[in-house]
Amino acid sequence: MRHDMRSTMTAVLERNTVVREDFATEPYELPWAQEARFFVQALEVDGPLTFRTEISPDGLHWCPLDDAEHGIDSPGLISWPVHAFGQWLRVRCTVGPGAAGKLRIYLVGKG
Amino acid sequence: MNVNETALSKYNPLPRVLCFDTFDTTTHGWTELLGNYDGRGDLDTVDDHMRDFRPPQLSSCSFFDVGTHGTLSGNYALKLATRPYPGHTATGIRRLTMAGRGRVRIETHFAFKAEATVGHEAPASVAWDGNRHPSEAQFGAFTVATDICSDGGVRYHNVIRYQNTNLDGEMTNRWMYPVVPEPTPRDHQEGKFALPYAADFTAPDPDDWRTFGEPLEMCVNEVPTKINWHYLRWDIDTSTRSNVELQLNDRVMDMRDVPVPLYPDRYGTLDNLLNFYFSVRTHCGIRNFLFLDSILISVDW
Repeated sequence: MRHDMRSTMTAVLERNTVVREDFATEPYELPWAQEARFFVQALEVDGPLTFRTEISPDGLHWCPLDDAEHGIDSPGLISWPVHAFGQWLRVRCTVGPGAAGKLRIYLVGKG
Repeated sequence: MNVNETALSKYNPLPRVLCFDTFDTTTHGWTELLGNYDGRGDLDTVDDHMRDFRPPQLSSCSFFDVGTHGTLSGNYALKLATRPYPGHTATGIRRLTMAGRGRVRIETHFAFKAEATVGHEAPASVAWDGNRHPSEAQFGAFTVATDICSDGGVRYHNVIRYQNTNLDGEMTNRWMYPVVPEPTPRDHQEGKFALPYAADFTAPDPDDWRTFGEPLEMCVNEVPTKINWHYLRWDIDTSTRSNVELQLNDRVMDMRDVPVPLYPDRYGTLDNLLNFYFSVRTHCGIRNFLFLDSILISVDW
């Protein structure tokens, strides 16, 4: 079957989630996607939050994709691309001492 | 016979096919369900029990032990995955309207599993004996349901649920239906309900569920990473607002006596609503998955 138009898909992994300690998003499969992009929208934030992309071959066991860290310490939207991943993706968030935030986290895949 | 006819041959549709969704190409309109929110886009006003039904995924059904499993007839299935939180539910909903009244049929080939636990034991009422596996008792329930509104705002839900275990994790293997309509955000606003996170959104009180038919054992196949595709066909009738028949593999169950509760009051802005959803609910702290190879919805009007 011909696919003349690329596929795209947006998943809202967290929706107005209040964070006060380190966490990782639920495993999300994108086996069909050639590229992906995370968006983190900080609706409220007090103190530094740091994000890293993690990948997995099976949805059970995880490792960092690369050394890139993405920080946010004021309300707003940040984003970063994800390339050359296995089919499971998630974000690990490190919450600084005493920090907190309210987040929406999106994952966009494109094939 | 062309490829599309081959794909269709695993189904038995009524004369008019409304949608035939194969998940090798996108999610085909099956999306996450979200509760309603206020007039200012404030998602904090979504009911606690309806704010986290998780986005569907396109899955190649891959596992830690054998790698990619694939689907009944392709690369990707629509996968609904719960959080590892007792009571948590994941949904996929399809939103249509009706161009007539009469028989409606939804068919799918599906598989269900609890997530594998690797290197540690998790609570289960079934012990491993070389044949049976604890993961068998770590799957809660899956539900197929509708949201229909017609004829001057009369709203109702035809609902079927396969309850694999009860809330204590004991095997039940029963088909069930609720005797009350699903609590709505309007009910909440009117003070009738205020449900906590991970409450059963279809009917929160376990006493509001009844069984029908005999206990039915599915093909679980001994470990959490062997998936077998089950055929499901469910007929309802929107001219009589009733259930008709349910087929699971070779078992056909008459559902004409299974009641469909109406909402006591009327709903606006939903004229001819014809929604379908699949959901999966974990009864323990282990992710539960529902994989849908493809879905076909057909009608006789």
